[in-house]
Amino acid sequence: MKRRKAAVSGIADAPLDTRSQERARLDRIPSLAPDRLQTYDASADNVGRFLRLLGERITRPLAVSLTACVHCGLCADSCHYFLARPDDPTMTPVYKADQIRRIFKRHLDWTGRVVPWWVHAGSPRNDEDLNRLKNIVFGTCSACRRCTLNCPMGVDTGLLVRFTRGLLTEVGIVPEGVFNVSRDQWETGNQMAVTEEEYLETLQWMEDELRTEFGTPEVDIPVDRPDCDVLYTINPREVKFDPRSIANAARVFFVAGEKWTLPKWGWDQTNFGLFSGDDKLGAYVARNVYEAAERLRAKRIVISECGHGYRSTRWEGYNWAGYDQKVPTESVVVTLQRYLREGRIRVDPARNPDPVTFHDSCNIARSGDLVEEPRWVLRRVVTDFREMHPNRRENLCCTGGGGLLSMAEYRPLRLEVAKIKAEQLKATGAKLVCTMCHNCIDGLTDVIKHYKLEMKVVQVLDLVSNALVIPE
Amino acid sequence: MSKLLSALENEVQIGALLFMTVVYTLRLIWIFRFKSGRERTTAAGSEAAGISYSLMNVAMPWAMESTRKRPWFYAQFVIFHLGVVAAITATFIIPYAPALFKVKAVVRLFQVIIGAACLVGLLRFIRRLRNPTLRLISTADDYLSLALMILFFAAGVLAVPNEYRKAEWPIAIFFGLTAFFLIYVPFSKICHYLYYPFSRYFLGRTLGHRGAMPPGMKGKRTCLPSSPDGGGSR
Repeated sequence: MKRRKAAVSGIADAPLDTRSQERARLDRIPSLAPDRLQTYDASADNVGRFLRLLGERITRPLAVSLTACVHCGLCADSCHYFLARPDDPTMTPVYKADQIRRIFKRHLDWTGRVVPWWVHAGSPRNDEDLNRLKNIVFGTCSACRRCTLNCPMGVDTGLLVRFTRGLLTEVGIVPEGVFNVSRDQWETGNQMAVTEEEYLETLQWMEDELRTEFGTPEVDIPVDRPDCDVLYTINPREVKFDPRSIANAARVFFVAGEKWTLPKWGWDQTNFGLFSGDDKLGAYVARNVYEAAERLRAKRIVISECGHGYRSTRWEGYNWAGYDQKVPTESVVVTLQRYLREGRIRVDPARNPDPVTFHDSCNIARSGDLVEEPRWVLRRVVTDFREMHPNRRENLCCTGGGGLLSMAEYRPLRLEVAKIKAEQLKATGAKLVCTMCHNCIDGLTDVIKHYKLEMKVVQVLDLVSNALVIPE
Repeated sequence: MSKLLSALENEVQIGALLFMTVVYTLRLIWIFRFKSGRERTTAAGSEAAGISYSLMNVAMPWAMESTRKRPWFYAQFVIFHLGVVAAITATFIIPYAPALFKVKAVVRLFQVIIGAACLVGLLRFIRRLRNPTLRLISTADDYLSLALMILFFAAGVLAVPNEYRKAEWPIAIFFGLTAFFLIYVPFSKICHYLYYPFSRYFLGRTLGHRGAMPPGMKGKRTCLPSSPDGGGSR
């Protein structure tokens, strides 16, 4: 590494904004309960509670990730924050992880307890220090886990960041956006506070459009139909901003002759608990989905295209909820692949002539298992597919991951470091960037707009639906 | 051989080794006191394959972008750790199989390996001092551990000829440092090798279960086709 002059971002000094928390307290919203949503109380012993929880919640994988780091610095160049700000050593994953590591060492590790100065062990002195920690773990890391896969020791910095976020969430020292979305998901069961009426009306609207398109009442968007082969779960963003993605899924299900349904409750497969580090919220939201499948006796849970939703519902949620997996749980992209393989749907790639590249969602590619499946599908539904580099498990974050899209105070830094992603996108020469993640849609759209790229973001289902050959 | 050197090579080493063993045992007990969660999802891959791949990562520089793009850095890592193995081996050869170091070629081989490791250690020390990122994160333990290793290697180069009749001091320094290491290591970052199997095991287990590690293994998953496979193509 070359000699560099240090130039820190200053993001660590962003103040704690608690206006939403105060409003929630005044409104006495039901989710403000000891085992649910927490708010910040300046008069409480927040440092003491933080340290108590640290001791209680630490697991073996976390403990070894906290002790195993040798400070080799190899993780630095795997982080898009550091790649975009090479003069700022506070942007390295090791520095970020060290902020919780030093507290762990001071309170739980031998050497740090006896001679703290020897190993940079230290304790947060007050809420200001916790706020500083908040700005580092929420504002300078998208928990994409690229550094984890590039660490020779196997230190899981993404896991450490999420763990620290979870401790801060318990004392209400969180960005406003994180509190707001968590509140909405606790209160309404979905992270965009979509009401049941709004949800059902949107589904009805899409069903009406499909019936007009197909000219038959046989096409439908069923809700709470029991004994189906597929329970389809979606992202609230689809109801709010992109209902045509629901129609696209319904169109494919209809053509494939699928017996499917959406649940009336438990339809939100996204999970802000993944981002806030709040396992209780994670468990609550995931359990809603699993119980919906059980209640309706569905044979399979299918998750619409969403990176963190897939990771939460397919992998983490069962563990958070202490719920043994009973039915297969898969991404809709896998469902599409199966339909194509089994000949249940036919596609004409000529209908998607524009050059398309694929952006791997961090939560799906690095923390999940889907890398080749979307490519398999895309190669059949577009005529010009081109990889971006690096790709698959080495792909760079869209920069909107880790819940950062909901944290307005960190937006300038997020867009600054997005130049790495912008360069990567531009180099493909593609007109369309396809991703199987709603978070990435917004993250990439921000990048494209900010860096004035001539590109549009689409999803796999959009392209499949567009290429779908409707039988006579 | 003086009594001091004899004691350093034998009683002191054995005592220090015993101390290290006790501390490591306590350290392992400490690690196992932290709970490890139970996996409740059905596998999309193989935990065993993931764990094996993750543990073997150290010998696969192509597996990670961070080492693939820095072959020289990886080479330094290999040289440094070969030096560690050679120097530790020498601490056993000198008192228990001294005949081996009567063979000049063996002595030269050890000197080359340990000497190269010493040079790498120096390069790493300079890197740690010069690089702002490393300076920011480096602790006193990081500096001392590396400095001690450099000294240990330097002493090792001088000690392996084992010519105590000519001069005892290089061997005495080498064994003195060894004893100090055995006592200091469990409290320093040098004991990272104790944690390596754990951290790589957990990463490999999680990602192996999900079919994300090793890359390209998902099609060879171990779960039965009739079981709920939880997604992914067959």
